[in-house]
Amino acid sequence: MQDIHILGGAMTRFGRHPGVLAPELAQQAILKAIDDAGVAKADIQAVYCANVLGGMILGQLVVRDLCFQGIPVYNVENACASGATGVHLARHALLAQQYDTVLVFGIEQLTALGGGTIPLQRNDHKTELYAKAGMVLPAVYAMRGTRFLHERQAKREDLAAIAVKNRHNGALNEYAQQRSETTIEEVLASRTIADPLTLLQCCPSQVDGAAAVVLSTRPGKAAKPVKVLSSVVVSGIREEARDDILDAEITARAARQAYEQAGVGPADVDVVELHDAFTIAELLYYEALQLCSRGDAVALLKSGATQLGGRVPVNPSGGLLAKGHPLGATGVAQMVEVMWHLQERAGARQVPGARIGLTQCTGGGIAGVDHAASSVHLLGV
Amino acid sequence: MTEPAYPLWGAPPESALLASRDRATGELVFPTLPDASPLSGAHETVPVATVGEVYSFTVIHPSAKSGESPYALGYVDLPGPVRIFGRLVGSARPAIGQRYAAQADERFGYVFTAVDTAA
Repeated sequence: MQDIHILGGAMTRFGRHPGVLAPELAQQAILKAIDDAGVAKADIQAVYCANVLGGMILGQLVVRDLCFQGIPVYNVENACASGATGVHLARHALLAQQYDTVLVFGIEQLTALGGGTIPLQRNDHKTELYAKAGMVLPAVYAMRGTRFLHERQAKREDLAAIAVKNRHNGALNEYAQQRSETTIEEVLASRTIADPLTLLQCCPSQVDGAAAVVLSTRPGKAAKPVKVLSSVVVSGIREEARDDILDAEITARAARQAYEQAGVGPADVDVVELHDAFTIAELLYYEALQLCSRGDAVALLKSGATQLGGRVPVNPSGGLLAKGHPLGATGVAQMVEVMWHLQERAGARQVPGARIGLTQCTGGGIAGVDHAASSVHLLGV
Repeated sequence: MTEPAYPLWGAPPESALLASRDRATGELVFPTLPDASPLSGAHETVPVATVGEVYSFTVIHPSAKSGESPYALGYVDLPGPVRIFGRLVGSARPAIGQRYAAQADERFGYVFTAVDTAA
């Protein structure tokens, strides 16, 4: 099968950008990514725009003034998995030899929503009924947290430790919104949102950001060209009455397929960027991504293996907890971060000798499924 | 609450929450499928047993400026089997395994109320 390369990438700082509209923010990431890729604007043959809440034809609005000469622009939405889905679809087109070089970018302006939790997709009787009762994404994750503490005899401090780790990493990342460290005590003392999740255990919501990558069938001029070893998107299977909510089944399924497609195993992975929208999520994804066995998430965390300097650093960028989660941008930003590590460009956060990296993001917002979408990619040099 | 497009509760005297039962597999779907659903023909409407056990829960703490008090939400596992999400009322703090019963509610259609409340 044709090799697919990430020629270059870039992201904006994630955070508040007062007075900056989505097109300007996205253009910043796009132009830096094109420059990083060492290609000309005229080399781009199609554009994929990943966005969730920014309205119709956002991609075309973003690129209008970049004057791409009417090439195809595709707008992609899969909730929080939009960015990775954009890369997945771009890869299909490259494999089919429709194009040899394309641009994928993700953009989101959550500050335009005025704060609060992400709205659910309520055009559905079940979701509407549950939303009326009070279902919001923090509540869904919180119930996983409650069950986790119960079944695993885990402590609230174990959840808080995820936030401490990722905030430490974010302090090293000029692109993160939260650039200060925190402590277990501070995390647990922050305002309760949905018990057991406190404010500092939830990814910040007042955040805008964009990220972009250039994908090509050509390796480009980089000393270490980054290859997309595998790319998987799956949708949620309808929940059954006695499902185990600690089994992140959609992510486990996407990860199994991604490892198989790439011909690598979890032990081969040197660095991971996963979807830590809430602290409990990272613990569950350790198991779903097979970084440890079922039941061993807390042990893996306590071993130090997922810290910077450990065997398999998870979220060296600071993750969603420190960066924030501009929905459409997240999946692309995860790949930009992993690219930096694989090419030894990650500065103070660098995972030494990283050769294979994994990215994972999941999109939710409807009732009756674990999540609606999950996407896992393996990148390598 | 406006009339929903699907029945939530069965008629008195044995009022019970209703679910759609897949005729082929026996799987229960809640809430019931509306008549407009092309899937409804493959399902029959059945009552759900009133009492189940909490599978998991959370307590939402609304922001101070909203003026709202904290409230509990959870999944209740009922015989069928079926798992239903909703408000948990009648107990200071729910616990996994605690028994709750479905009860009609003006605002939400239904809530679950604690069966074994401590004295």
